[in-house]
Amino acid sequence: MIDLPALPLSVRRRLRELLLEQAHPLVLSFAGQWELCGVHGDAAWYGIDAGSAAERLDALRDLFVGLELDQQQVLPFVELANGRSVHLHLIPDAGDFHLLLLDAESARTAQREQQQLANEAVLAGHAKGKAIDALKHIRNELERQRSQLAEADALKGALIATLSHEFRTPLTAAFGRVRLLEQSAAADPALQRELLALRRSLVHLQVLAENLLEYGRGEAGGLLNPGAVDLEALAADCRAMIEPLAMAKGLDLRVLPAAAAAPPPQLDELRLRQILVNLLSNAVRYTAQGEVSLALRWDGRELEAEVADTGIGIAPEFQARIFQPFNAGGQSGSRGAGLGLSIVRRLVEQMHGTLALDSAPGRGSRFTLRLPGAAAASASASAPGQGRLHGRAYVVDDDPDIAQLLELALVDLGLQVRCFDAAPVAIEAALAAPPDLLVLDMRLPGLSGPEAVYALRSRGCRSPVLMLSAHATAAARESALHAGADRYLTKPVDFAQFARVVREMLG
Amino acid sequence: MLGDFGVGKTSLVARFVRSTFSDKYLTTVGVKVDSKEVARAEREPVKLVLWDIAGRNALDTVSANYLRGAAALLLVADGTREASLAAALDLLMQSRALLPDALAVLAVNKFDLLERWEVGAPTLAQLRRLLPVFETSAATGTGVEPAFAAIAAGLAP
Ligand SMILES: Nc1nc2c(ncn2[C@@H]2O[C@H](COP(=O)(O)OP(=O)(O)O)[C@@H](O)[C@H]2O)c(=O)[nH]1
Ligand SMILES: [Mg+2]
Repeated sequence: MIDLPALPLSVRRRLRELLLEQAHPLVLSFAGQWELCGVHGDAAWYGIDAGSAAERLDALRDLFVGLELDQQQVLPFVELANGRSVHLHLIPDAGDFHLLLLDAESARTAQREQQQLANEAVLAGHAKGKAIDALKHIRNELERQRSQLAEADALKGALIATLSHEFRTPLTAAFGRVRLLEQSAAADPALQRELLALRRSLVHLQVLAENLLEYGRGEAGGLLNPGAVDLEALAADCRAMIEPLAMAKGLDLRVLPAAAAAPPPQLDELRLRQILVNLLSNAVRYTAQGEVSLALRWDGRELEAEVADTGIGIAPEFQARIFQPFNAGGQSGSRGAGLGLSIVRRLVEQMHGTLALDSAPGRGSRFTLRLPGAAAASASASAPGQGRLHGRAYVVDDDPDIAQLLELALVDLGLQVRCFDAAPVAIEAALAAPPDLLVLDMRLPGLSGPEAVYALRSRGCRSPVLMLSAHATAAARESALHAGADRYLTKPVDFAQFARVVREMLG
Repeated sequence: MLGDFGVGKTSLVARFVRSTFSDKYLTTVGVKVDSKEVARAEREPVKLVLWDIAGRNALDTVSANYLRGAAALLLVADGTREASLAAALDLLMQSRALLPDALAVLAVNKFDLLERWEVGAPTLAQLRRLLPVFETSAATGTGVEPAFAAIAAGLAP
């Protein structure tokens, strides 16, 4: 240590100047417990001026909460209210004490720069590791899309994807209402006819909306979502959708479901249904008299679906063109958006299937669809029963119409139902009394669906969770399952499928 | 506030005390002290003096110095980095030696990034047996008030 008094006076003077200049010492002297009795130095440098002195002293005092005032203390690098960093020394003095503040700003800045680089490098390393995994995962997908995706296309896709919510939510509500009205109008034929007409328009709207959405998703589409398909239920659903359309034109509709060979095919049911509904509604549109038929065959390896009509037929030279979007004149007398068959072709490709067409003008058309549907493992194929279920279900949806429809569907199945319009209350209730089933909307105000599921799981709640979302994207599904949901369905809710899934979950 | 760097300690204090959030990362050096009075059910409100210190995954002598006199520890981890949870628990064990009686609460932060979380729900379910755990987001505010309120509620008198 340097012996100060031994230094020449001029050196001492210079040294003193330099130290004062760099350290900007400020001494605050206190009597007893925090009674300020002396200030030496540049208080304003540390943001302590006459106006704010009381507040600033309070903040200094906060620093010593829990610490002894009769022991020497050092708090290095304390950030003051004015942003300046100081080394703060407490010096006891016979029952009183002094605070010595020394400027640490430049030391802090240097240390921060160094630390910032080091920390950022570590964080970036972690982010990079993850990003590389994610990149590998999506690279194949991207390579397929790159050649096709112009920026405008991507924008359009995003727009349509967000529109899907706007489409699906009211459609779900409308179908649900019609179903309720049909039940209560059983005795009134006139009203039933009106309802049939209403259902017809809704079917048109839904087919159009689903086709537009699929079109907006682009050629690549989303990931396939295979599951065990109940062919009988599928055939019944197709009949329920197409029958009102066929009746209006006086056509016969024949539906031949597959013989119930176990185990059922593993297919993306939403896409399969969309293919069949498109082929069927197209057949009805181009048939003036006679019949439209659907036949399903399942041999344990391949699903064959045949949609035939007795309509105007398609000339050979037009047969390739009808699979282009917005084609005109493919089938003479055609009108409408002309998206249907191009969507069908795309969906068939996504599902690795084939579609054959056999047709001649005036002799009707026959579309034959073949899809590979590797058999379901027999363990998971145990068919869910048809009896009434027992247990309690909670429904969380901020749209009261949807919540009510879900409630009705669950009550139909035999469950006791409680509805909530936001997640936090539902979480409290589920922790207090875990339900046998929790049906959660993905997009809720405040806590989102996935956040709510995670919160439940991290509090030990194991109730089965079914997440519903208007976003039919692989990412949405992924984030729901990642958060801890057991099953995921898209809106508009298909009540037959909903019931099947609920049975599986409670079975 | 104890936890590895970058987990959101500074951001949680900013959200709680000033209702602000910035997604820019500025490394904390040393300590910044803030305070906020917190209401408590059927008791006097309490003034929390919050020590936001530089993030470390182990206690060195400098941060040990800052810990003296603390009545409670808010351990912070980043849900998107599993290692930061291990770091928070290490810090808890190391600080127990200095502060055997301090109240400890765990905030697992960045809940708004749930789809990127590495920390599994079963892990947190286990941890809840040891100490109060909150999923928080300094970005949206989710869980922040409840985490600090749990500290306020656990403090005597
Ligand atoms: N998305 C998100 N980012 C956060 C959250 N909390 C902090 N961050 C970001 O994470 C980085 C580190 O935050 P900071 O508070 O400085 O962490 P500290 O080192 O623990 O004090 C900053 O870029 C913050 O913007 C959060 O809850 N959500
Ligand atoms: Mg910080």
